[in-house]
Amino acid sequence: MLVKGRSQKRSDDMADDIQKSKLDALKKTARPCFQCGICTSSCPVFRVAPELNPRVSVDSIITKGEVPREGNEWLCAYCLMCDQRCPMGVSLAEILMEIKNISAREGKAPPDVIESAESLMADGCLSPISSRSDKKRTELGLPDLPKADPADVQKLFKATGAFEVLEINKAAQQEEAAE
Amino acid sequence: MTTDDPKERSAGPSQVEVSTTDPELRIGVFPCKCGKNIGAVVDIDDVAEYAKTLPGVAHVQVNVYTCADPGQREIQQAIAEHGLNRVVVASCSPTMHEDTFRKTVKAAGLNPYLCIMANIREHVSWVHQHNPEEATQKAKDLVAMAVAKAATLQPQPELDVPVTQAALVVGAGVAGMQASLDLAEAGFKVHLIEKQPTIGGIMAILDKVFPQNDCSICILGPKMVDVAKHPNINLITMAEVESVSGYVGNFEVRVKQRARYVDIDACTSCGDCVEVCPVDVPSRTDQSLTWQKAIQIPFPQAVPSSYFVDPDACLGMDLIRCGKCIDRCEQEAIVPSDQDKYIDLDAGVIILATGFKPAEPSKIPRLGWGRYPNVITSLEFERLINAAGPTGGSLVRPSDLTKPKSVAIAQCVGSRDINTRSGCSNFCCAESVKCALLIKEHYPDTEVSIFYQDLRMHGKYFEDQYQKAREEGIKFIRGRVGEIQQYPKTKSLRVSVEDTTHNKLLLEDFEMVILSMGAEGVSGNFPIPISCTSDSFYIESHPKLRPVDTSSAGVFICGGAESPKDIRDSVIQASAAAGRAGIILQKGRYPIEALSAKIKQDLCSRCGTCVSRCPYGAISQDGTGKFTVMGALCQACGTCAGDCPKDAIYMPNFTTEQIEAQIKIALQEDPGNKIVAFACAFCSYRGSDLAGVSRMQHPTNARIIRSMCSGRYSTKFAQKAFELGAGAVLYSGCHLPSDCHFQTGNHWMAKREPRIRAWMKRNNIEDERFRIEWVTAGEGKKWQNIMTEMAEVVKTPRQQIVPSVSKKPIDEKSKRPSKAKTDTRPKTKPKAKSKTKSRDTKKSASKRKVTKKK
Repeated sequence: MLVKGRSQKRSDDMADDIQKSKLDALKKTARPCFQCGICTSSCPVFRVAPELNPRVSVDSIITKGEVPREGNEWLCAYCLMCDQRCPMGVSLAEILMEIKNISAREGKAPPDVIESAESLMADGCLSPISSRSDKKRTELGLPDLPKADPADVQKLFKATGAFEVLEINKAAQQEEAAE
Repeated sequence: MTTDDPKERSAGPSQVEVSTTDPELRIGVFPCKCGKNIGAVVDIDDVAEYAKTLPGVAHVQVNVYTCADPGQREIQQAIAEHGLNRVVVASCSPTMHEDTFRKTVKAAGLNPYLCIMANIREHVSWVHQHNPEEATQKAKDLVAMAVAKAATLQPQPELDVPVTQAALVVGAGVAGMQASLDLAEAGFKVHLIEKQPTIGGIMAILDKVFPQNDCSICILGPKMVDVAKHPNINLITMAEVESVSGYVGNFEVRVKQRARYVDIDACTSCGDCVEVCPVDVPSRTDQSLTWQKAIQIPFPQAVPSSYFVDPDACLGMDLIRCGKCIDRCEQEAIVPSDQDKYIDLDAGVIILATGFKPAEPSKIPRLGWGRYPNVITSLEFERLINAAGPTGGSLVRPSDLTKPKSVAIAQCVGSRDINTRSGCSNFCCAESVKCALLIKEHYPDTEVSIFYQDLRMHGKYFEDQYQKAREEGIKFIRGRVGEIQQYPKTKSLRVSVEDTTHNKLLLEDFEMVILSMGAEGVSGNFPIPISCTSDSFYIESHPKLRPVDTSSAGVFICGGAESPKDIRDSVIQASAAAGRAGIILQKGRYPIEALSAKIKQDLCSRCGTCVSRCPYGAISQDGTGKFTVMGALCQACGTCAGDCPKDAIYMPNFTTEQIEAQIKIALQEDPGNKIVAFACAFCSYRGSDLAGVSRMQHPTNARIIRSMCSGRYSTKFAQKAFELGAGAVLYSGCHLPSDCHFQTGNHWMAKREPRIRAWMKRNNIEDERFRIEWVTAGEGKKWQNIMTEMAEVVKTPRQQIVPSVSKKPIDEKSKRPSKAKTDTRPKTKPKAKSKTKSRDTKKSASKRKVTKKK
């Protein structure tokens, strides 16, 4: 079942339905996995950050029927090595992504991700164009880089529902701070 | 066909053809619940009530298990009590039990061909589990279709053919050898064909064999000699089967034998020739770990014990180019003039023991085989540890010929992976434990780790071996190897694997890695089309009850050609195949299906189209220009009938009338929502059955009509269906080009497609409403997809329902039925002195010869 608590505020039934159908789809994708461990032994992130174990993430979906709580999936670098090598054709990177999506909707995105999202919304980009590179471009006779327009990004945030997810997470963060 | 008084029917099973032209039609319908298999989805009682209303039905009886003994007895009692003369069993697929019920009715004195089945399990209850209402409706339709067909069934005489007292065994690995020896011992002549220059197969190059770890060649060698010496075995090596014609009991086989360039009888295998041969070639026996000469013997114990020349490597067997071996051979055994030759053989039965090939390690680049010298396959290991191998039995690293201090064994390589083969290889667990034990036996100090996923030590004595391995200190780690990297200087290897029991990454160094290779199927290129699984292993007739039979009568399978298996299982299966083949040989005569084509001379215009359609040359023209079919040659595919412009060919049990009656019933209600699906008995019908067995759910629109071969589907059937308003029509058959059980039926069917499409265009029928699909017996998933896609097509209503359609040559008769419907009673057919039953309402097919005694 979905987590109650933080997401209780969202008494929106439809959203719950979406979450549930997403989780169901996720379970279905995960089912062929027979836990051989090729994904994990191929994962470059696992070597440096053993918290991220794609096999264990999939296992918790199969056996517990729920999205793992620890938030380790946010470490995934989306290199697709696990997808490439999975002998059962399970799309692990997609599963990890979907876990992130579901937990983000529950307000469980990690603070650094929320921070980046906020700055993306405010500035329209994650890394601002440095004056040094501007200078370099002028020297080389290259045209100016287009300026990011935060309004455009906000439109996208609204259209894709990312805005809503961000709000949920911010609210959850505040709640946590209050506790 | 004989006619007798119906009273004599019960006289006994010997008089099978008694009930022939019984004027009164009395059909018995037996809907089966099959426990809950059908009963849980289809309302069988409702189906039974409906069946009672069908024309010609005299008796309906529901059973829980019709195929069980009481069920069969009830059919026989009903035949006696109610005077039934046609039987419809509505239960599972006819592939499963048609034979059973034919035997049942035969025992009750009815001609076996008067019994047919309606498939309401594989085609209904198993694939429409979530839609009981529509499933019940479909079941009713299928029963009505079967009843309509039953009404026009004719008794057919049962024939048999003589059986040639010889067997052809293809492949002389351990399975082929065992099958040959068994049959030869039983007194039958055996022609044993082997592709390689020696018999023995994969087993001959293994070192030890699990679970007792006895020496492989020591137990196989004597058997090989037995094969060579047996007076009943005609061993033909370096040969492949080129073509097979004929049928069970009478196969005519042509074998192509490659030139050996060495006289087997003269060669004493002294080996003098090898000393002078200047050409080196990689050794096949030793897995290319060492060299052999162009003139060679695979291994010392080879049978026949004779050298052979590899013509691709040899410089030339004359004195100008080389000819050194000829000069040297004192026996004058080398024959430069040797040529490939063809050998013609007759055989009554065929056993295919063509084996498998070890999986290809180069297909899995992450494990580094081929790039890293110290990554070897299990077969390469066998040769290294074998005393007759390239290193004289010492295990060394190929990179520097030193003894490895640590060895890893990676399992499931080439198996259990959808990119190579999704199935388990069945032997690689036991094989790797054996390898580990062999290493420990030779070098107790060497560390051995086995990386397994699921250790399947399932066989007899296997667990003991596993226990021994643990006692020897072999490490078992659960986790499949992710990747292998090599240290460039030392050529040692770093294996990256997740220890899944402890959720931690292991990056361990080993001096050598053995890949425990699975198996790849090589079946399917035999000249007789036998259905294969998608990974190229032969499909058995029934996975449990007929595991060594195939869909072709008289052809049996055993060993690695059927599925990957170890030696013990191969030998067991080989003996089973020999036993089954022996039954046919021993009886001396084999009953054949009595469904051969007959030409209605009064309709025949003598165009001769049928002659070119027949793949068996069964149709011939006599001096007067009259065409006739030779019954023993005809295999009843019906391709001739499919293309006969005058519809002058009578295909028993699959007549045009019967098929059109089925189409009509299928489309009696809501035709626009229906798919009329034609399926051939050997591939696509079995494919649809597999969809059922695998419970692959799909919409209920399809009404499947079975025929022997796709060659039977004439253009008329699709036209008829569309004229009656069918939403869509499917013609399905075996895959092009060569899967057709009747050789060319699918080709002829495919050639009709443009004509059908052109007709559809003229009549404004959308193109997607007609499909031709190739579905093998292994493609249940494909069947499900086709059904689902076509169900989408029929959701849009047809633009135009046909009656106003312009008449085109082949469908002259199309309008006639509706006219005839109201006044069928007149004696359109002289034979049927009858009138339609009063129950024969608008719904039921008017064209059926529904008869009732006055």
